[in-house]
Amino acid sequence: MSAESDMEYSDNDGDDYDYYGGQDDCDMEAVDRSKSDPEYFQYTCLRVEEVEKLLNESIELLSNSLQITPSLAKVMLHAYEWNAQEIIKKYNENPNEVLVYSCVKPRLPVVQGCTSRSICAVCATTPPINNYSALACGHFFCNECWAMHFEVQIMQGVSNTIQCMAQDCEVRVPEDFVLSHVTKPALRERYQQFMFKDHVKSHPQLRFCPGPNCQWIYRAWVREGARRVECQGCEMLTCFSCGAPHHAPTDCITIRRWLTKCADDSETANYISAHTKDCPKCQICIEKNGGCNHMQCGACRHDFCWVCLGDWGYHGSEYYECSRYKEDPNSVTDSQQAQAKEALKKYLHYYERWENHARSLKLEEQTLATLKSRINQKVMAGEGTWIDWQYLWDAARLLKRCRYTLQYTYPFAYYMDIGPRKELFEYQQAQLEAEIENLSWKIERAETTDRGDLENQMDIAEKRRTTLLKDFLEFNISIASGSKI
Amino acid sequence: MANIAAKRIKREFKEVMKSEEVAGGAIKLELVNDSWTELQGEIAGPSDTPYEGGTFVLEIKVPETYPFNPPKIRFVTKIWHPNVSSVTGAICLDILKDQWAAALTLRTVLLSLQALLSAAEPNDPQDAVVAKQYKENPQLFHMTARHWTNVYAGGPASIVEFNQKVQRLLDMGVDEHDARVALSTYDWELERATEQLFS
Repeated sequence: MSAESDMEYSDNDGDDYDYYGGQDDCDMEAVDRSKSDPEYFQYTCLRVEEVEKLLNESIELLSNSLQITPSLAKVMLHAYEWNAQEIIKKYNENPNEVLVYSCVKPRLPVVQGCTSRSICAVCATTPPINNYSALACGHFFCNECWAMHFEVQIMQGVSNTIQCMAQDCEVRVPEDFVLSHVTKPALRERYQQFMFKDHVKSHPQLRFCPGPNCQWIYRAWVREGARRVECQGCEMLTCFSCGAPHHAPTDCITIRRWLTKCADDSETANYISAHTKDCPKCQICIEKNGGCNHMQCGACRHDFCWVCLGDWGYHGSEYYECSRYKEDPNSVTDSQQAQAKEALKKYLHYYERWENHARSLKLEEQTLATLKSRINQKVMAGEGTWIDWQYLWDAARLLKRCRYTLQYTYPFAYYMDIGPRKELFEYQQAQLEAEIENLSWKIERAETTDRGDLENQMDIAEKRRTTLLKDFLEFNISIASGSKI
Repeated sequence: MANIAAKRIKREFKEVMKSEEVAGGAIKLELVNDSWTELQGEIAGPSDTPYEGGTFVLEIKVPETYPFNPPKIRFVTKIWHPNVSSVTGAICLDILKDQWAAALTLRTVLLSLQALLSAAEPNDPQDAVVAKQYKENPQLFHMTARHWTNVYAGGPASIVEFNQKVQRLLDMGVDEHDARVALSTYDWELERATEQLFS
């Protein structure tokens, strides 16, 4: 797709104003939107039950084709990021490899009698022989100990990755085995909730809506670049790729850097940046409260180096590069201090604008609310119908959308290298800002402004916004994915 | 839960007491209180290592969820080792962290720690400064570790030159341990250590 679509001129009949605050439209319009809206992204909003159904379909498919229990299918799907077809294909080639990779079977063959069934090695008591159980690895422990092990793990938030209790045994405990040992209803429920959350998190097509107490889950097929999804429940705008608030034209890595930087003022943020890092694989925030620099993420079990965040597996000999890097900040020179001062000035310039638009955006919410009641009053007083005043409502919503995009242009500009592209960007940004202020002014005086004039202004502002996004969002996405779109 | 923990610890305590390692003086285990929640371990520095002749005291705290969670262990005796923090005594050993298994025991843990003294894992370091020296200047590392063993763990007499350098800093009013850490960190270069201490 390129920027030459003159098509949008004729498409622009007001319908596509709805996508920031309104209901989802039908597919026909969606097709047109993919041309006229540079932020268009195909996704669906699902309820928990629908996601459960979706996951169950994969589980059923796998358990039927491989003739295994659904619990084992879950362990395998979790390990293979829910790609059932890939598992089936690989299983047909080499079943053992798949089972070992998913930690269903131990790497080494089972040694008979490696654990006794006369004394439990964990609790050091001697329960009757029928009170022991073991997984595929053949490590027998008494049922009370298994139950206690699961309780401790579940209370620590572990679900899919609970392992066997034997030394050096990586075999993962399937759901049915856990549930056959855990009897407390509250604990069972907790476990199943964690399992579901873990499944959604490990599924590349799914993402929880980050809205507070929001139960909706997004489903989409692309996970790179700034991708706007809007929750059907809480109307929150989120980026599907990274889970942060939607941030076009800024890309995911940049917005993350920016938000961390902005939060730097508060004590919490200082603590977070000083004591925590994000897992390089699943981006969960990790606090290192002791121990060595070989970290294993508690959530995804990824091994990495705390110092450089590189993969631990490839790391061994390179460790000392990391420690050298750490020493650098000690040798601060005077000119660096001057540079820091300059950097702070630059940052404040962008931050003030970012903050200002964020505040305006909050105020737009109030504007929308008052506007709604004003229109209602007019309708009640017989001054036309809602349809007659619809354009005002549309204008206010458009204003909100434009401000949103404008706010997110600042982090983008902050991290841009100086050059003609930045000049172009800042030119377009200034244009957009000017038109937004015009629009805002006209909406405030809507009753005395000519309707045609206002609608014209709406059109100009939206054009500025889409032009900027077209030029810079698609450019970023094509860089991120390394392909032309 | 605490019931299992106490029962296990009691049994393990007996197991360690009867073991040949205790008889041979390689490891030792003592109770700190009556509740079986805190113990004190001791391991002898393995022969043919810079820790030979030293005795290293360990603090062992047993969590309520033991053995489903690992015991919390740190070196009380100061030690110069890539996998042990020279400041806090914290230990980097997989079985004390994510590789802990409920089937492991205090005896196996103590023996693993002793094995760690014989074979450091410089690629999985706890103390980056020590690990760097271990890798880049093994001979100096060996001498430094021996010096620490002598001073803190009762090992055989060590390098005279090191003692003299520590004394020089003591004369300047520096705390003895701080002086030793600075010198060890800066490869026993008196000038750099002094600079760091007084900066």
